[in-house]
Amino acid sequence: MELLGQDGREGLGRRANSRFVLILLILVSILLLLSSLYSAQASVFKKAREGVLDATAPVLEIFSGPVAYFNDIAGNISDYFNVLEQNKALREENAELRQWMNEALELRKIVGAYDGLQTYRAPPAAQPIDAYVIGETNDAFARSMIVNAGRAQNIEAGYAVVDNRGLIGRIVDTGARASRVLLLTDVQSRIPVFVEGAAVEGLLVGNTRGKPAIAITEGVDDVEIAQGLRVLTSGAGGVMPRGLPVGVIDGGHGDDIVVDLYANYARTRLVRIINYEFPEVGETPSADEEVAATVSEG
Amino acid sequence: MGYRAEHLLSLLKTVAPLLLGLLGVIFLALPMRLFEGAAPTPIIPLVVVFFWSIYAPAYMPSVSVFLIGILQDLLTGGPLGLWAAVYLVTQFVVMSQRSYFLGREQKVVWLGFALAAASASLMLWLVMSLMSGVLLPVGGLLAQMATTVLIYPLFGIAFGEFHRRILVEA
Repeated sequence: MELLGQDGREGLGRRANSRFVLILLILVSILLLLSSLYSAQASVFKKAREGVLDATAPVLEIFSGPVAYFNDIAGNISDYFNVLEQNKALREENAELRQWMNEALELRKIVGAYDGLQTYRAPPAAQPIDAYVIGETNDAFARSMIVNAGRAQNIEAGYAVVDNRGLIGRIVDTGARASRVLLLTDVQSRIPVFVEGAAVEGLLVGNTRGKPAIAITEGVDDVEIAQGLRVLTSGAGGVMPRGLPVGVIDGGHGDDIVVDLYANYARTRLVRIINYEFPEVGETPSADEEVAATVSEG
Repeated sequence: MGYRAEHLLSLLKTVAPLLLGLLGVIFLALPMRLFEGAAPTPIIPLVVVFFWSIYAPAYMPSVSVFLIGILQDLLTGGPLGLWAAVYLVTQFVVMSQRSYFLGREQKVVWLGFALAAASASLMLWLVMSLMSGVLLPVGGLLAQMATTVLIYPLFGIAFGEFHRRILVEA
């Protein structure tokens, strides 16, 4: 009897203890969640994220090689089934691109002539840093990638990241040798963009869908935004250079203007991080402002 | 075997499920893009937490669960504490139903896991929607949870063998 009771008490005691710890840790997590809501950029959390980034980067780098290899094999298998269609599509695209190339060469000549003019001053050139994608968050709501370049390569938070198709996101955390890229589809992503040819400025707001939407900040109310217009970064608010290709307008989705991104995240392997120094504002900003005001009114 | 080595071995056994969970988190961060990214990556840490919370909670103390969740939060760059809370609540619910699941058929446990995954999804979706201020689309989350539930039997068997042969026997 005594033994049984002791055992029971012991078992109960241990269970109660572990349950106490469990509930305590749940409360700690909720507290962390609430505090990270109000201070997501607090230095403690930021340090922790960067530390984890640095600690896991070597592991991710080791694994990302074989993973890419198997992805390629799987990709190859599916490619075999539609190689003819792909070939045809590529030939058509090639023909189209050749025309564009000729036009671009022509335009380069004209721009070169303008460059020669004394009144024109070219904006400072960006200094790109190349990096490989070594990780990505396979999470339903958080969309980001980890690339193998960090503070050692002079990368800072806010820099734009592009691949060979267009903008893919911006740097949010930088470790010593790895950084996190917040993708355009993440709920937290806000990128200032403009629609080419429609005089519309807005924010590209991620919503975890494949095609993010534009929230218009400036533009004429009854403006017609046609399908297929190009969307580019506007450079408003600093850091990101103006004119990086983002995507094309893909019609409306309710009240939203939906953008079909150029980026294809399933194929992004090599990225380019754009280290862009914004030109200093000159002594006579008032003249610029007047011009900007008249443009937005008109 | 010396006393030291034995002690070390038993310690290693106790943290083995934790290490598996951490590996699962790393697996989630790998750039897996099978079928052009159409196949979502299963959330293996959820399976690890669920499995050991039912069959051997001593091997999955709440601190381990917390560490797995925190690592996932830090690595995904999401709000800190979200996955920790999800895994801990899952453990809480599972441990309260433990006596029901013990000794049941695998099918029943599988159903239990599906329920646990559904409740975890609901929690994730609610918190993320609250934080972003809009009702987020659920498609991606459902696909990922469905994948996780589908692969559960495979990992259930593998973890079962691992637990029996390595953690308990050896």
